[in-house]
Amino acid sequence: MIIAAYNLKKYFPVGSPLGLGRTLEVKAVDGVSIKIPADEIVGLVGESGSGKSTLGRLITLLTKPTSGEILFDVPEGVLAEYEQALESGDADRRKAIEHDYSLLHMSWSGLKRVRRSLGMVFQDPTASLDPRMTVKDIIMEPMVETGHMNGEAARERVFELLRKVKLPEYFAYRYPHELSGGQKQRVALARAISTDPKLLVLDEPTSALDVSVQAQILALIKEIKQELRSGVLLITHNISVAYYMSNHIYVMYAGKMVETGQAKRVIKEPKHPYTVSLMSAVPVINVKKERIILRGEAPNLIFLPYGCRFHPRCPMAFEICGWTSDEVKEDLQYLLEEKYYVDEHTQITVDGRFALKIFGVSPERLKAIIEAERESVASLRAVKEMLPAEGGAAVRLYQGFEPTLKSYDGRQISCLLFETQSK
Amino acid sequence: METKRESELRLSFKVLFRNKSALVGTVLVLLYFIDAFVMQVYPKLFGITNPNSLVENFASPLPLPPSVLHPLGTTAYGIDLWSSILKAIRFDLAYTLAVVLSGAVIGVILGVISGFVGGALDEFLMRITDIVFSIPYLVLALAVGFVIGRTYTSMIFALALVWWPIYARYGRALTLSIKTLPYVDSARLYGMNGLKILFKHVVPNVLPPVFVQVSVDLGVIMPIFSTLSFIGFIPNANLPELGYLTTLGLNYLQSAPWAVIFPGAIITLFSLAANLMGEGLRDVFDPRRRSE
Amino acid sequence: MSELLTVRDLRLEFYTRRGMYKVLNGVNLSLRKGEVLGLAGESGSGKSTLGLTIMGLVADNAKIVGGDVIFAEHGNLITNAVWPDGKYVAKRGRKIIKRLNSQLLHIRGKEMTMVFQDSMTSLNPLLKIGYQIGEVIYYHNPRLLAERALARNRATREDMREVVMLLKTREERDLTRFLNEKGLGGLYEQINSIWQRPGMSEVKKERAILSLAGQRLSGFEKSVLEAVRDNKPVTNVPLYRGYRKRLLIREGVRKAVELLSDLSVPHPEKVVDMYPHELSGGMRQRVVIAIALANNPKLVIMDEPTSALDVTIQAQVLELVKRLKSKGSSIVFISHDLSVLAEVSDRIAIMYAGSIVELGETYDIVNEPKHPYTVALLGAVPTLTEKEIRGIEGEIPDLKNLPSGCAFHPRCPYVMDVCKKLKPDLITLGGKRQVACFLFGDSK
Repeated sequence: MIIAAYNLKKYFPVGSPLGLGRTLEVKAVDGVSIKIPADEIVGLVGESGSGKSTLGRLITLLTKPTSGEILFDVPEGVLAEYEQALESGDADRRKAIEHDYSLLHMSWSGLKRVRRSLGMVFQDPTASLDPRMTVKDIIMEPMVETGHMNGEAARERVFELLRKVKLPEYFAYRYPHELSGGQKQRVALARAISTDPKLLVLDEPTSALDVSVQAQILALIKEIKQELRSGVLLITHNISVAYYMSNHIYVMYAGKMVETGQAKRVIKEPKHPYTVSLMSAVPVINVKKERIILRGEAPNLIFLPYGCRFHPRCPMAFEICGWTSDEVKEDLQYLLEEKYYVDEHTQITVDGRFALKIFGVSPERLKAIIEAERESVASLRAVKEMLPAEGGAAVRLYQGFEPTLKSYDGRQISCLLFETQSK
Repeated sequence: METKRESELRLSFKVLFRNKSALVGTVLVLLYFIDAFVMQVYPKLFGITNPNSLVENFASPLPLPPSVLHPLGTTAYGIDLWSSILKAIRFDLAYTLAVVLSGAVIGVILGVISGFVGGALDEFLMRITDIVFSIPYLVLALAVGFVIGRTYTSMIFALALVWWPIYARYGRALTLSIKTLPYVDSARLYGMNGLKILFKHVVPNVLPPVFVQVSVDLGVIMPIFSTLSFIGFIPNANLPELGYLTTLGLNYLQSAPWAVIFPGAIITLFSLAANLMGEGLRDVFDPRRRSE
Repeated sequence: MSELLTVRDLRLEFYTRRGMYKVLNGVNLSLRKGEVLGLAGESGSGKSTLGLTIMGLVADNAKIVGGDVIFAEHGNLITNAVWPDGKYVAKRGRKIIKRLNSQLLHIRGKEMTMVFQDSMTSLNPLLKIGYQIGEVIYYHNPRLLAERALARNRATREDMREVVMLLKTREERDLTRFLNEKGLGGLYEQINSIWQRPGMSEVKKERAILSLAGQRLSGFEKSVLEAVRDNKPVTNVPLYRGYRKRLLIREGVRKAVELLSDLSVPHPEKVVDMYPHELSGGMRQRVVIAIALANNPKLVIMDEPTSALDVTIQAQVLELVKRLKSKGSSIVFISHDLSVLAEVSDRIAIMYAGSIVELGETYDIVNEPKHPYTVALLGAVPTLTEKEIRGIEGEIPDLKNLPSGCAFHPRCPYVMDVCKKLKPDLITLGGKRQVACFLFGDSK
């Protein structure tokens, strides 16, 4: 296993740098585990705000994780031991393995060696190459920096790499602005594989390219992976590309992993409600499909929804998905004032995270409305009980929970619908 | 497909030459530099024997209008304007370069470090920059003058002190935008340490825009410098210097206007030329405007 | 004539320091009323420039060297812009473009509008959303705004009660007749917008309609609005003009709320009070679309409207576009993403190196592509199948230095001798399909 990352978190502090008042945090990655085997392409898909780019930066150490563990190049046996140690709580065994394999606890010289095994390609081909350097110098930089190769050998290698990415050798003396987007990305690829890396991270490598160029680059990536037998992490928002390239896929939403499994299976038969709507939203030529249009937008990563992050938009949300009184209040207010137009004087007050008080409606009327609207207004499903109170009713909601990744149907899903334990 | 490669240098020249006004500006600035160079190395070429002082002619102490003998006329004390201006350009250019270059070097170094390191250091340096920025140059020059003494050297010092904040801000802004680019990330990925990244990736990309700013600033500083000596701030300045020459003619403004106009015009002309040249250079260096 | 827009042999060149780029090389296409035409192409195909040129948004250093753009009853929009053969001269070229611009001012924004890719830069960051939408209506149709406000002022509660009754009986004709009789035509769209609003109780709708009546207007306000309505010549006193503008835009904001709710924007009353940066990308794009639709244009040109959006948001916007079609607008949808075009267009035109190489019904193009470029392009699109995707050999042609004959010939697997010498014209194959390729015959 090239990369085995456990429970990675990355929180970015927001707010006054002098630490006045509460420091808020953007929880870009909030407890994500990922495994990248050798000789496999792992797809990481998600939309903006999902945290996929941040995750890519965490495993290449461009960004330091707030917490979590990253093991590099671990033999299968050792990995099994490690996971056993995690489960059983054997801190000594765990620390021993981390001492040998953890990227976060490595010595400077160890890291230098590890860096040789890394390669990364970025989204914007133009911004990936220093405009003041020649192609040759750009490609040589990793080799020289990590001490992998030097001088004449490195120069020869540059030509070899150019040939590998199907660029003519004389390109070595050109400057980036003389190249097209596709050519620039090939140079970036050549640079990334210059040190024969065991891990190749590609962050949206073809998003900025034309579709015909994209096809060429994707074929090239497949070839390279075949030859180097490296583990590849392909980060993309393009599901068709992920389908075409990946063996295994991870789907992220708002900093968490929601579904992971065999790529073709997850994409063709998604189970998690987010994955289902994501896949249904992808336009595919000649396929007419029933689109599941999600309402709303990706959540604010500072003030995340309670319980399951996806519940405000989830078409299948039910009572324990994390509805809070604020959410129910908003929906109820709309229903009472607009749709049902009960009275001018209804008032709803929040009474703690899972309780509300409603004035100006009779409990029977309220009950009837809730019954009628449960189907279309998901938050109402969280109503646990309603007790009459002076002037109205007091409503109590179910307590919500946050789902965790559990195995189901040959994949792992993080959704309460698929958790078999009791509520 | 083989795109025909236009040599970068040729394209740079082409870009500069397309802009007619920039071309004129560049040529003019070059003329000033040539004059300074000649004055330094071989003043006899222009028939000047003492390039470091003004030659008085007490035989005819009143300013004379332009004539064959004195192509630009004379000013007070019978000082010939043409030769004096030629001598003065060298001094003014030297002082201006001293101010701009030292300001730029100090400012850019501070700005780049501030932007690159970030955090508390950045905040601290920026606050200092803000404070110095808010000081009007004239006031500072006067203050420095009264402390260190009023000489040309101390004026260079005072002006450079006031001028570096602009470069600090500029350098910092450029550094901030470069810092987040993927090619810097790529270098960091392979363990390149901060200092190396600074010199290999950040500085080479910061310098060209700074260079453009320097050329424009030449045109801004020279008049400022001349102003300082014009207001008589520097005593005992029997040195060929454009501001001083203008002062000399001041008494005769009504009767011999050329004594004031010519030195003044030379200053203004340089300002304009440097500005035009700077605009042209901007087109040459900015990759986006280049391909336009 | 059912053709809303016809582009005939449009040619455009760009003059830059690096040379002259032939961006449009004889573009031919037509758009029928009520259809969505997808315009596909990669970078360098000229598709964006085509969209801009149809709108008349031609850059200063561009020159239209030939062709026509004929729009509905307005005729040829490029008359007088065709330049006789000669070197590009900046000054005169500019005058032509200026004339072009002034001719088009009353069409652009009203009958022909455009939506761009980046919603953030399409909106003024310093103005509220409501103002920006209202402004468009103010510029093109101030009378409408004046009528609306005046109608509200003139209407009485009895009138409105009558309206509600008519609405309940669903006799649309009677309603319009009633309104016109009472001179309350300006209320029609306001009434409809309330009545059609989903998720509102009928009782609440009634109250809302009743509250439309009797809006107070000061005597001065009324006189200003009446002057606009009756199209009286305008007093050009600055204060008066500013006042009138403010008054009308205020009404425009009310209309903006209606437009936004039509586009399923939640809480439109709050949105109109917000600034562009306070909205998410998908919401902003909807605002931009609202601006484009504010004056019921005949033609909307959309240039990559969904490319900057997430897949799920893109799906929302595409649904919107499909609904627009059913409302009668004709749309030119420019995109590099064939899957998106296949989803939303009736017909698709494929562009390469400044000209249209194939044109036809969506289903036909996607399942039976004829032009070698179309075939190759479809072969490069990843679908969720096991199909291998292949790139296209070669590079996008340099527009400074186009290949002779057919621009695609250096990359074409079926290239013949004639392809290198002559450029193929668009020929019609069996009714609805057009191809520009010698494999399918010759126009001669």
